[in-house]
Amino acid sequence: MTMTKFAVVADGVEKRYGGVAALKGVDIRIPEGSVYGLIGPNGAGKSTMFDVLCGITKPTTGSVNVLGMDVTKLPAYAVARRGVGRTFQRTAMFKESTVRENLLYACYGKMQHSVLHRIFRLPVWRHDMAVFEEKVDEVLAVCGLSELRNNEASSLAYGIQRRLAVAIMLMNDPKILFLDEPVAGMNEAETAEFIQLLRTVGCGRTIVIVEHDMAAIGALCDDVMVMVDGRAIVTDTPDRALKHPDVITAYLGADDDQRW
Amino acid sequence: MKALGNRSGLPLKQLGLIAFGGLLIAGIGLGFESAFLLGLAAYTCAFAIFALSVNIMLGGIGEVPLGQCVFFGIGSYAPAIVMQQGGYPFEVGILIGMTVSAFLAILIGWLTLRLTGAYFSIVSWGLSGVAMVTALNLEVTGGPLGLFGFTRLAIGPFDLSSPKVYFIASAVILLVVLVFLAHVRSSRFGNALESTRQSSHLAQSLGINVFRERLKALVLSAPIAALAGSLCIPYTQIVTPEVMSVIRTVDALLAALIGGTSLLIGPVIGAVIFTILPQLMHFDANVKVLVFSLLIIFIIMVAPGGLHQLYKSAVARYRHGKKERA
Ligand SMILES: Nc1ncnc2c1ncn2[C@@H]1O[C@H](COP(=O)(O)OP(=O)(O)O)[C@@H](O)[C@H]1O
Ligand SMILES: [Mg+2]
Repeated sequence: MTMTKFAVVADGVEKRYGGVAALKGVDIRIPEGSVYGLIGPNGAGKSTMFDVLCGITKPTTGSVNVLGMDVTKLPAYAVARRGVGRTFQRTAMFKESTVRENLLYACYGKMQHSVLHRIFRLPVWRHDMAVFEEKVDEVLAVCGLSELRNNEASSLAYGIQRRLAVAIMLMNDPKILFLDEPVAGMNEAETAEFIQLLRTVGCGRTIVIVEHDMAAIGALCDDVMVMVDGRAIVTDTPDRALKHPDVITAYLGADDDQRW
Repeated sequence: MKALGNRSGLPLKQLGLIAFGGLLIAGIGLGFESAFLLGLAAYTCAFAIFALSVNIMLGGIGEVPLGQCVFFGIGSYAPAIVMQQGGYPFEVGILIGMTVSAFLAILIGWLTLRLTGAYFSIVSWGLSGVAMVTALNLEVTGGPLGLFGFTRLAIGPFDLSSPKVYFIASAVILLVVLVFLAHVRSSRFGNALESTRQSSHLAQSLGINVFRERLKALVLSAPIAALAGSLCIPYTQIVTPEVMSVIRTVDALLAALIGGTSLLIGPVIGAVIFTILPQLMHFDANVKVLVFSLLIIFIIMVAPGGLHQLYKSAVARYRHGKKERA
């Protein structure tokens, strides 16, 4: 038997907001290089779990190890610098800027120049800009945004904005990418395109995805974890998890609009 | 960056703008003879530098730095104190003011920049009150009467008591500050500030230490405010606790808003309108407050991007109209 390497290992993660427990002891193991789905009704704690795994929120108790780092002890920006990318449910890009500017801001971690380097156009600055130009062309091509580089982000169609959100994260070559409901609100064609993009992007990195669109989950994920009310109830392949009696019960109990 | 360079590698557009600025300064400096107008123009340049400093915070990271007048005040008091009490030259005082305000900005920023929005503004406002009371009660600041009767106001060989020299010196310094800030904007640091302003969550997820970048913005803005404070002395000829008044920050905030906070030159345009217009129309101080309050309400309602935005949309409409007629 070969040992599986894990990109994420978390045990007994609890998160309380005052009296509300958003996470009530979740264990999770995400194999390196896999596409992992996190599903469950609204309010189950999926976004909170993402925040904990990215170091944005510190858990009340529990241990969280991502890419070998104890993210409970690191500020969020430091976790991000070490190869953890995440997109948000809402603001996933810089709306007032163009596509190219968005990617320029995202290139922060790859650049080294100071204001003085910039003023005197020193080699450090030239090198940074060359690195950016090369990377931006590559990322734009992968995400199908090359034609739109000078368009303002706010003027883009919704499906394209979500692709820009992924492009922003790709600028830093993350080893693991967290996507919070990326295809929500997309039409069928946009969803299909987006799934294709994630297949390309997923090559050589771990992807964790929260999504209500079960077709997308089924098409992409190797494993899923079903969360209900702050707990993980089932972890399995998408097919088997959706047929699991506990999962069916949990979802029958949910309101219509919270069903999948 | 493609937009920045051409094949020869020289930023011709920027050099052209700098040359234009230089010509404008020479034109006004040599063309006008009125001591009153030259003095007012010099003061406008100093005020524009302060508005630029305020806009590093407002347009740069989206905070309203009501306490920015503290750094301005330090910049005014430092030369006054070292000249009066120590007999040191004006220039040394300017450098001391800029240095002290930068260090104070580290301290103040460390304590206040974890706050955002109204909370930051209010604490920052409170600090300006503390500074004013301190200036009123210290002996070294001359108390409520302030400091006046300066014998030598000069930067190196340039004697600022001559209105012509005073204007040219202030305008050149303003131009240097503008060129510097233009480079800040197009640097990695400028990118970090802009991303922090638009979405601090996303900026953080890109590895940007949001608090540290905000602190750096304040530390950058403080010596620029102090420089403005020093440059006002040849015009005012006196330094009183009034320099720390929050009204001064509000004036600069209005100037930045009128000109446009997203445009580098916006605060300068606003500062020109703000100081020249009332003089031309002989406004009473109270009328001035009324007119500018109404103007600001109008601008925020019609064009939150300032006059620059009005101009842009007018141009867009004109082009559009031309296309339709064609
Ligand atoms: N910052 C917060 N303060 C208080 N309660 C919160 C906060 N964030 C999330 N919660 C609560 O935690 C629970 C889980 O929320 P969330 O993680 O957003 O669920 P999901 O993403 O699965 O829809 C909800 O009951 C929500 O109200
Ligand atoms: Mg959610």
